[in-house]
Amino acid sequence: MRARFGLKGFLLPCVLLIVWQLWGIAQPAQSAAPVPTHVFESARQLIASGDLPLAIFQSIQRVLLGFLIAAIVAISIGLLMGHFRFADRNLDPIVESFRPVAPIALLPLAILWFGTGTPAAVFIVAYAAFFPLIINTIFGVKQVDGLVIQAARTMGVGRFRILQTVIIPSALPSIFVGARLAMGIAWTSIVAAEMAVGAKSGGGGTGGIGQMMFIFYAYSVKLDGIVVCMIAVGIVALLIDLCFRILQRKVMPWAH
Amino acid sequence: MGTLVEQPGYPKLQLAHVSKQFNVPRSGEQVRAVTDFTLDVYPGEFLSIVGPSGCGKSTVLNMLAGLDEPTSGQITMDGQQVDGPSAERGMVFQNYALFPWRTAWENIEFGPRYGPRARKLSTQERRAQVQRYLDLVGLTGSEHKYPHELSGGMQQRCALARLLANEPEVLLMDEPLGAVDAQTRVILQEELLRIWGQESAVHDRRTVVFITHDIDEAIFLSDRVAVMSSRPGRLKQVLDIALPRPRVDAVRAMDEFYRLSREIWQLIREDAYRASISQGTEPMVAPVHS
Repeated sequence: MRARFGLKGFLLPCVLLIVWQLWGIAQPAQSAAPVPTHVFESARQLIASGDLPLAIFQSIQRVLLGFLIAAIVAISIGLLMGHFRFADRNLDPIVESFRPVAPIALLPLAILWFGTGTPAAVFIVAYAAFFPLIINTIFGVKQVDGLVIQAARTMGVGRFRILQTVIIPSALPSIFVGARLAMGIAWTSIVAAEMAVGAKSGGGGTGGIGQMMFIFYAYSVKLDGIVVCMIAVGIVALLIDLCFRILQRKVMPWAH
Repeated sequence: MGTLVEQPGYPKLQLAHVSKQFNVPRSGEQVRAVTDFTLDVYPGEFLSIVGPSGCGKSTVLNMLAGLDEPTSGQITMDGQQVDGPSAERGMVFQNYALFPWRTAWENIEFGPRYGPRARKLSTQERRAQVQRYLDLVGLTGSEHKYPHELSGGMQQRCALARLLANEPEVLLMDEPLGAVDAQTRVILQEELLRIWGQESAVHDRRTVVFITHDIDEAIFLSDRVAVMSSRPGRLKQVLDIALPRPRVDAVRAMDEFYRLSREIWQLIREDAYRASISQGTEPMVAPVHS
C-alpha cells in the first residue's frame, strides 16, 4: 500500500497532466476546454469562497447517512437470507427484481415522496448502496465453513450465539467487500441525485456537489468548475476507501 | 476433571442397531452409510474405530456427536437418548475446524466463554482454565497467534485444548492426526495419551471415541478397537488391546502389538483394496479371495 502512494505512483498522473495542458494550449482561444492551470485556479477560488467545502460536506453527510441506512437494512436482511433458507427463497426474487432498476430511475418516486431536499438524495444513495451490501452479506454467510459451525455446536453453543460469534465474523471479510463497493456506488448516485433533486434550491453549496456541477453546466457553463467537482469527489471517495481499509485491518487482523 | 461414573460397568455410550441412510442429492438414490451398528462404549475407555475409506466411521461419530440423526436405531449417553449436539460430547475434526479469526487463546476460550457453563465461570476462573489447557497441550507462548500462523501439529494441539477447555465428558475425535506429517503424528499420539491422562486411574479418564484409518495408531492408543467394513458400513469385530498402560514407544515393538496389527489388517484388507479402486487411486495391495 505504501508503494501506491509513493513517488512512483505520481509519475503517470504528472505525465497525463502535462499532456492535458499541452492539448488545451493547442485548442482555439475561445474554446471552453478546461486545462489544468484553469482548473487549478478555479479550485483555488471555489475553496477560498467556501462553496466547494460546503458542497462536499453536504454530499458527504448525505452519502454517509444513506450508506448507514443501507448497511443496517442490507446486513440484517442479508444475514437472515444467508442463514435461513425460507428467508432466501422468499426474499431473493424481490431483491433480484429490484436490482436491475437503476437508482436514478427511482428519482421521480423519491421526489414525490420526499420532495427535492436531503431526504430524497439520501433515499437514492441508500437504495444504490443496498444491493452490493446485501449480495455480499448473503454470499459471506453462505460460504461460512460448515465444520466451524459444527465445532461450535459440539461445544454446546446456542444458535443465536453461533450467529454472533461464528457466522458474522466469518462473513465479515465479504461484508467489507460489499461495503467498499457500496460506498463507491453511493458516490456515483449522490452526484446524479443531487443534479436532479436539488435543481431548484439555488446556487451555493447547499445543494451538494452534484448540484454545484449542475449549476456549472446549466447556468454558468464553467467546465473548469465541473472538473474541480469531479476531482473533489474522486479525492473524497479515495479517502473514505482508505478509512475502510484501515478499519478492515483493525477489525480483521487475521485476514492479513 | 473426573468423569462421573454412574454405575461401574454401565456403558457411557450405547449404539443399538443404528443405521443411517443418505439421500444422494441429484439422483434421489438412497445410500446406506451405516447398517445395524451395535456397540457399547464404557466410561474412561479409549475406543478406536478403524476401517477403510468410506466405511461410514465418520458417520458413526457424527451421530454420536448429535450432528447427524440415525435413520433407525438408538444412541444413548448415560441412558439418555442423544438428540442434537451437546457440550458433554466434544469433538475434534480432521481439519481442526479452528476459528480463523480467533487467536489460539481465543479459540480455547470459546467453549468456556460461550458454552453452557459460561455463566458459572468468573473471568479469572475462565482465564485460569484457558491457561491450564494451553500449558497442557504445550502451546504456551503461542497464545496470541492466529491459526494460520501455527503449524499443523500446533493447530491440532490448539483444537485439542479448545475441546478440553470446554470440559466434555466424552471426547469424539475424527482422524485428528490425519493431516499432520508422519513424525509429528507419532509424537502427537504419545502427547494425546498424556493429555488424556493415561497415567491416572480409569475413573479419572474421559471416554474417548477415536476414528482413524491407521491400524497401528488405533492399537497404540486404544483399550479396544472396533473394526468396520464398508458398503454398507457394518461393525465387523471388536478387539481388546491387552497392551500395558502407560503406553510408551517400546509398546510398538512388542509381539502382541504386531500380532494385533496383522489381525486387524486381515479384517480390513479386502475392503481397503476395493475402496482404493473405487476412489480411483492406485491399488496398493492385491485383493484377497477367500
